[in-house]
Amino acid sequence: MKKSLWILLTVILAIGLLAACSPKEPAATATAPAVTAPTAEPVVQDQPVTISIWHQWSGDYLNAITEAFNEYTVAHPNVTIDLSKPEDTSNALSVAIPAGEGPDIIGWANDQIGTQALAGNIVPLGDYGIDLTFLNSTYEPAAVRGVVWQNMIWGLPESQEGIAMVYNKDLVSDEYLPTNPLDFEELLTKAQAFYNATGKYLVCNQGLGNPDAYHVAPIYFGHGVSEYVDDQGMVHLNSPEALAAGEWMVRFKAFAPAETSHDICKAMIVEGNAGAWWTGPWAIADLEAAGINYGIIPMGKPFVGIKALLLSKNAVDRGNQAVAIDIMKYFTSGSVQAKIAAANKTIPAPTAALMDSAVQALPSLRGFGASLNLGVPMANTPYAGAQWGPVGDATTAIWNGAQTPQEALDAAQAAAEKAIDDMGG
Amino acid sequence: MVGWSGRRKTLTILMFIAPTLLGILVFSIYPLVLNTFISLTNRGKFRPNPDCSSPIWNIVEPTCWLGEPPKGLAEPYAFNDPILKNYTDLLGGLFTGAALVAVARLVLILLPLWIAWYVNRRLDRQLTRPVSSGLIWLAGLVGAVLLGWLINAPAAYSALLKSGDFIMVNVRTVLYVLVCMPLFFVTGLVLALILHNQNLRGVPFFRVVLIIPWAASTVAIMMTLIWQFFFRQQGTINQLIGSALNNYRPVTFLNSAGWAFAIVVLVNLWYTYGFFMVTLLGGLQSIPLDMYEAAEVDGANWWKQLTSITLPLLRPVAMPVIVLSSLTTYKIDAIVWALTQGGPIAGAGTPGATEFVMVHAYKQIFQTQAFGRMGAFAVILFIALFAATLYSLRLTQITKGATE
Repeated sequence: MKKSLWILLTVILAIGLLAACSPKEPAATATAPAVTAPTAEPVVQDQPVTISIWHQWSGDYLNAITEAFNEYTVAHPNVTIDLSKPEDTSNALSVAIPAGEGPDIIGWANDQIGTQALAGNIVPLGDYGIDLTFLNSTYEPAAVRGVVWQNMIWGLPESQEGIAMVYNKDLVSDEYLPTNPLDFEELLTKAQAFYNATGKYLVCNQGLGNPDAYHVAPIYFGHGVSEYVDDQGMVHLNSPEALAAGEWMVRFKAFAPAETSHDICKAMIVEGNAGAWWTGPWAIADLEAAGINYGIIPMGKPFVGIKALLLSKNAVDRGNQAVAIDIMKYFTSGSVQAKIAAANKTIPAPTAALMDSAVQALPSLRGFGASLNLGVPMANTPYAGAQWGPVGDATTAIWNGAQTPQEALDAAQAAAEKAIDDMGG
Repeated sequence: MVGWSGRRKTLTILMFIAPTLLGILVFSIYPLVLNTFISLTNRGKFRPNPDCSSPIWNIVEPTCWLGEPPKGLAEPYAFNDPILKNYTDLLGGLFTGAALVAVARLVLILLPLWIAWYVNRRLDRQLTRPVSSGLIWLAGLVGAVLLGWLINAPAAYSALLKSGDFIMVNVRTVLYVLVCMPLFFVTGLVLALILHNQNLRGVPFFRVVLIIPWAASTVAIMMTLIWQFFFRQQGTINQLIGSALNNYRPVTFLNSAGWAFAIVVLVNLWYTYGFFMVTLLGGLQSIPLDMYEAAEVDGANWWKQLTSITLPLLRPVAMPVIVLSSLTTYKIDAIVWALTQGGPIAGAGTPGATEFVMVHAYKQIFQTQAFGRMGAFAVILFIALFAATLYSLRLTQITKGATE
């Protein structure tokens, strides 16, 4: 009797394991309902629906954002919004979307648009009543450029971000501050004067001494490089302008820390070993917590990243696209983004929010806004993936003295071209 | 209840092993098959999705099982033409004249050591040895160093490194393993010998304290960051020297290839010596004490006892430890990543001085997302490590008891 009981248990276990491993029923994808006609009217949802949003917002940022979504669900009682932040969005999407378990809306950076559009995880918004006229009349020009790829609209821009020189007002007097954001000779002279006067570094840039193509972008672009890699897959890394930037770094090295990272730069400015930190709005909370009396000035031409809401393929499969787009429009509207900008000190993408008087009064907006104004939009082409490694490595080799600027940038050009070849575009 | 009939018995046994078999199939065999399959294709950033209308893809690709995968702007991925393109791209450089000559030169250096091993084996068969084995090993070592100098080993090494990134990182990783193993063994042995001393007080305390770095390996990354802080320009060591010396210009240890390599060795030593220490201590405790007593009666000194009793009898314990540790050291990733990220960087497109195999693979796959090529990378590594494991199983006879 006992033996047969054991056999029974084993069979149950084996069946359980088999069931766990068997593929899920493709119910969600197989029964895709007919696409409803696009509508410009506010959507009236008569059936309860849950819209799931995968996002990248964290910490205190999220509070104001959750509040905004709560207001939407109060006004639309049939809509529930489920916010979640997966660890590794890219891999999570490639598994969840084919299984029909992906989100309806993805809040992400615009540089993901090309890759996700190639994979088919996101859908163009042109089919659902969003056109360029609406985009141009609602959002800032750089933000509009950031969400259009291959002449299709792939998302609605929410906010913009980029880096500027954030300095400690108590440590750096006006005489050491560069007055022209594109005059790097002036920055060099002032860094030297500051170093000679105080024995401290004027500015810590975590892209100098640490492979980080994003944080050195203001220096390359500020010297006249148009883009690292363009939408056609052309690489612009050994141009005379890039070389000029490399040679400037060699001279600047004497007055800047040899090794850097986000944490080193943060420690340096908080402990008073550096006068300024070339960083973005995400660092402000830390500086405020440390009680630093900071100011923000533009320097060079930074990368302008655009945070956008993208519509996932699964939203269309489930027939949720009309509600999803309504939520996207609501969240990226001037009034909502103005509120969020005031709380989070972000730079809003909707023009109406940027012009809001409360937003205009924010000191961080004036500093970062002036910097972003000069900036280069983050490329949304998948080719841009080839720029990060080579630019970061070449800059680090220049900074360490392992290679001359010419050698380093020639190698970067070759490496980026090879990476683009490998992508098989 | 009747007794076991043949068929029922087979069925029962099958049912008992079915979950494990299924587990092995799903979690070990299938990923290998899928990876080998992908390594023959051009799957990458611009070709991310399979073509589920083709029957092979429909069977192999899990995304096809869940229904139709999304159709993006991209073309589906396909087999390479020629089909082994990813493999020839990775290994092609090794089969050029210059690289083969370099390999031959490096192998030649090992010749005196092989001769020493062979002579020792012949002498062991004689009743009395004319020379001690240590002397012959020493002669072999001197011969190897001389030969290395004669045929200019560093030049051969750098010629080999130039034959492709894949070969460069592999050769460097092998060098790293060769540097680490003797250090691990000697440190572990010395500490084990000290802790084995019966006259030492507080041995249990030291045993616990010394094993902490290895036992607490779940916090390895955190500890590695602390190590990194020691060696930074603004770090502890530079601050200590700076406070003692005037006009001291801080050294950027992690920006120098030699220092960075040494630091990665040091930190790995700190993690691994505990493992060697504990296993060797176990081995020491299993050596019968009367052997030492007999040796003492015969007038053998401490060194003689160590080389003639302790080390030979530790061999069955030491070999598996060294082999296992070599394999894990070859696959080292997190510690190196946290310490140097493979740096210091010598320039774009050139692997850094501590960019070992796994770090290189990680950097490559996240930069280019050339999944096909990295699949080929994994297959080559798998074949190499599988061969090494089989050889080590034979060498150490780990499974001897199980198969007899």
